[in-house]
Amino acid sequence: MLHVKIPTRKEVIEEEKSKGKRIAAVYPIHYSRELFRAFNIQPVEVWGPPKTDTRKANAHLQSYICSVVQSGLSFYLEGYLDIVDLIVVPHSCDSLQGLGSIFKDFIKPKQELVTIYLPREKNKENVEFLANELKRIYKQLSQLCGFEPDNERLMEEIKTEEEIDTLVLKFYKSRGNLPLSSREFYTILRSREYLPPDKFKSILEYALLHASKGKLKKTGIVLSGLLPEPMDILDVIDDMDAFVAIDDMACCMRRVYEEGNSSDPFERMAERIVNGPPDPTKGNSFDERFEFIKSLVDLTSAKGVIFYNVKFCEPEYFYHPILKEKLGKAQIRSLIIENDINEPLPQQTITRIKAFIEMIRELS
Amino acid sequence: MDVKDKIKYIFSYKIAGKLLIELNTKKAFKNFKPPKNWRTDILAPPLRTGVYTKEIIAKHYLEGRYVSGVKPVAWVTSGAPIEILKALGFYILYPENHGALCGARKVALEISEEAEKKGYSIDICSYARTDIGATLSKKTPVGKLPKPDLLLCCTNICQTVLYWYRVLAEYYKVPLIVIDTPFVYDEAKKHDIEYVKKQLEASIEVSEKVAGKSLSFSKLKEVVRLSKMAAELWLEIMNANKNKPAPISVFDQFIHMAPIVEKRGDPETVDFYSKMLDEIRERIKNGIGAVKNERKRVLWDNLPIWYKIRFLSEFLAENGVSVVASTYTNAWGELAPMMDIERPIESMAKTYVYPILNRGTGHKLKTMETMVKEFDLDGAILHSDRSCKPYSVGQMDQRLKLLNELGVAALLLEADHNDPRAFADEQIKSRLKAFMEMMD
Ligand code: SF4
Ligand code: SF4
Repeated sequence: MLHVKIPTRKEVIEEEKSKGKRIAAVYPIHYSRELFRAFNIQPVEVWGPPKTDTRKANAHLQSYICSVVQSGLSFYLEGYLDIVDLIVVPHSCDSLQGLGSIFKDFIKPKQELVTIYLPREKNKENVEFLANELKRIYKQLSQLCGFEPDNERLMEEIKTEEEIDTLVLKFYKSRGNLPLSSREFYTILRSREYLPPDKFKSILEYALLHASKGKLKKTGIVLSGLLPEPMDILDVIDDMDAFVAIDDMACCMRRVYEEGNSSDPFERMAERIVNGPPDPTKGNSFDERFEFIKSLVDLTSAKGVIFYNVKFCEPEYFYHPILKEKLGKAQIRSLIIENDINEPLPQQTITRIKAFIEMIRELS
Repeated sequence: MDVKDKIKYIFSYKIAGKLLIELNTKKAFKNFKPPKNWRTDILAPPLRTGVYTKEIIAKHYLEGRYVSGVKPVAWVTSGAPIEILKALGFYILYPENHGALCGARKVALEISEEAEKKGYSIDICSYARTDIGATLSKKTPVGKLPKPDLLLCCTNICQTVLYWYRVLAEYYKVPLIVIDTPFVYDEAKKHDIEYVKKQLEASIEVSEKVAGKSLSFSKLKEVVRLSKMAAELWLEIMNANKNKPAPISVFDQFIHMAPIVEKRGDPETVDFYSKMLDEIRERIKNGIGAVKNERKRVLWDNLPIWYKIRFLSEFLAENGVSVVASTYTNAWGELAPMMDIERPIESMAKTYVYPILNRGTGHKLKTMETMVKEFDLDGAILHSDRSCKPYSVGQMDQRLKLLNELGVAALLLEADHNDPRAFADEQIKSRLKAFMEMMD
């Protein structure tokens, strides 16, 4: 266990506000943190949050919309986002598209609403499109904030994010040497969703100081999906003397982008997202996704993959059967489970996870 | 091209098959009468020109049986820009239409279960499940589907198609063209249109390679011209329902829309819809309404419930309710004016960004409000389709606005367009009864 205090979202919002910064509530998944930071806007991401009472959202959304969107909307309607200055809705899937549209047309929040369309394929036309989309948002933010950060300022923020991405990769690579439970590891990692870069960086650096030489002698698992919520899933894995060695999750690894090449800040931000790790919401091919997950398994010597799906999440559903088959052919065992982020893990799911870990341990 | 395939194609489709189908149509047209169990007490007879719908569809699927090796085959999404492929001589198959046909023939569930057995979740779109099931099991009510040589997926209806077509590309190992259309929250931006245009231009090379020939721009213009003509006729057919009583119901439109989806760009489709329009005008002249005792006029939002069309049509007609307008059937006509024959690629880029499903929830509400006024409607049935999230999200707010601001009765009807497990007859009947009471 590390003795490090990670501030809560609320504390961060209050502190940043007191410094005169604006706060953007950002829905999942991809966006350029650096663009917002250049305008002195602190992004605070809204992944649910889990265990939210979703009754308020029920007036706007049917029951077959995923719990991430249900909770995200309820959270807003309950007034928890009253303190923020902007609401950002990336176009990650049909349900988030709907959320953005409902906000704009019916709920009409008092805050500025920013939508981002994310291109689906990995090519240079898409980089160009996204760069233009980011320029459009730049204009919107300039109007809101009353100033236009220059290219130098944008590049500075981009470099900071790139540095952090490199550090995050280092953190992942040291996972096996860190005396952290999976819950602790992901609590640290996910604090990036709302911490200013310097704070997040210092927490990571501190944690890395505690990396030991000896590797964890536990069964490593790759966790794939949207987000590890409820976090009890991590405890269930750890309780089996196993641990999440690395992940293919939307809130974490899928957003660890590579450095861009372009010297134009907009193109560079766009390159980073478009060329980032494969992600079902970006419609990457099966081969790209398989190769990526396999590389995670190889890197960490993980013994199996758990696909942890949010119920009603179509982008993820479509990939499971073929990915499972491909992994099976490569002798990598996998398990598919699903849950609602607002529900406790059912006993049956816990039993399946335990049985899976026992099996892969016996087979290895 | 394989000579054997070609001979088989010419004989089985071009000569014998087509002839047989045409003879049947002639006979059916001449001796036209409603099907045996048709409720003539509450409904006008089906459109006589409807026999041509059957003919067009029968020919289409028959050609599909023999087309492999003769023409390049493309599988495309329902909102895809098919004009380029058409001009290159592709045989085009719409898995969504095939899915609808499976639904209407009540075999969609059995086929979907084939996909479910392989791990495809029951919570993914039931069209996709039907299509993946048909791909995996080869089950289809049309005999046989031709394998694709190319896949064309356009995200202007949903993102779901992107993942679905990835599955198809993986299974068939053929090129996949993705035309990604940025979602229009209010107005499309210049860079949105430019982005789509570039993708369309890039798609030409891939399509030409598969087709083994170059695109003729004069042919493309001709296809766009025919496509536009057919869409305009379709729009006129739908607008004819502004008359009282409405000459055809939306349930009829669901059946007769197949050619505008899968055969647009063909001269036969233009001929077909102009014949249909003549028959509809004739009905108007003679004061014939689709529902005999049209007391109330309502709108349908979202996809049809394919396996319950007859049930819903009769149940509503029994109560004098005619469904006269629909955001769904309207989608294949409303964009016709945007097509510019002289600038096909540019206008396609613009047109294909604007389908109702690629626009905001507020735009859909506006479309419904306009329909309520122009068609003089008393109510709206919003099919909350658990399979189709992009169409369904927003309906709860839309319903309230229709109710509170326009004062029309509005019902949210929970079901699924292709999965009968989401439909409970008695529950639906009582919801509809309550809705009808609201209108009285
Ligand atoms: S969980 Fe899936 S469906 Fe829900 S918001 Fe995320 S990507 Fe969309
Ligand atoms: S999700 Fe809706 S728009 Fe997309 S394929 Fe299914 S029915 Fe069609």
